[in-house]
Amino acid sequence: MKDFVLMMIGAALVNNVILARFLGLCSFMGVTTRIDTAAGMGLATTFVITVSSMADWAVQHWLLDAFGLGYLRTVTFILVIASAVQFTELTIKKVSPALFQMLGIYLPLITTNCAVLGVALLLVEGHMSFLGATLFGFASALGYSLVMVIFAGLRERLALAEVPRLFAGPPLGFIVASLLAMAFMGFSGISTG
Amino acid sequence: MSPEKLAGPPQEFPGPLGGGRREATSGGAYLHTVEGIARVVRIDGDTAWFEPEQTTSCGHCASASSCGAGTSGIGTVANRITARRFALDNNANGLTVGERVVVGVAERALIRAALTAYGLPLLTALTAGGIAESAWGSDLATMAAMAGGLLGGLLLARLVARRLSARGELAPHFLRRARPGETCGGSGA
Repeated sequence: MKDFVLMMIGAALVNNVILARFLGLCSFMGVTTRIDTAAGMGLATTFVITVSSMADWAVQHWLLDAFGLGYLRTVTFILVIASAVQFTELTIKKVSPALFQMLGIYLPLITTNCAVLGVALLLVEGHMSFLGATLFGFASALGYSLVMVIFAGLRERLALAEVPRLFAGPPLGFIVASLLAMAFMGFSGISTG
Repeated sequence: MSPEKLAGPPQEFPGPLGGGRREATSGGAYLHTVEGIARVVRIDGDTAWFEPEQTTSCGHCASASSCGAGTSGIGTVANRITARRFALDNNANGLTVGERVVVGVAERALIRAALTAYGLPLLTALTAGGIAESAWGSDLATMAAMAGGLLGGLLLARLVARRLSARGELAPHFLRRARPGETCGGSGA
């Protein structure tokens, strides 16, 4: 139990997908103009990463490892992720068309989100149990969502601030992102302390 | 101080980046709405059918022309927008086909919808997986329990979504007619 909790804290905060591993930067800069869209995107990505982590673990252990097809890992995982996104989309559409109308726009962007593939490849390297792999994917995705929402909040504030024209927009966004990454470096003390 | 608690005369504030707005209700309490532009595609008696005009969730980038987001076909944005058609009562508004309007949903409703659709199934799946792992300690049993939990969570989400839908929380509301050239990323002329 303690191992799982420490592993989840490490995945979410210490080795944050965005700020420490630099994955998912496209959505980090593109969908963080408002908190609500960032939260919606974060939750959708959390769902897809967790489901694809479950599927990727099963494929790795019972297909790729069993038949010595490790060299097909990246291609196979891309296929699994695309299927997970399609599964999510079809399920949400079936469960509630109203929810799909409201949230469906976030799903296409997740297919090409490298954070999903990155987490899948990392959990294979970790040689974890099924629950460990799923919790690792879930915690990594929570860390991704947390950073998305924090950054969106900061950008909403910055949009109202008066800044020199040279720094307005993306330049200031990058500076803030670097400061946020430095702040998250403080969490690395947890692993050694 | 929370914006919801502020009292005062009804006002409108421009959204931080043009897309969203904070609108004041008649009671003086501020309600955060997420706005989008939709086009009237059909009128059926007192009902108007809309298609959202939003093109991509990422709001375009320098690679927009080559990423294929705007092309039609299965799984593309054009295809998804057709699937996201919605209807609103047209009694009071008198809209005609082709008109562009600004519609909105409460920000809280969007978060609640996302939590219902994604959070609830994940919670049930992880809980079921944790229980199975502590009970049997087998990967196969954990996997089966998580799949069952996910399915159960989706069914639960369906019930919650029905309740939210019945209360009208998931339906967008007509706010106003769009100005000429107005886009979902900011106001036009």
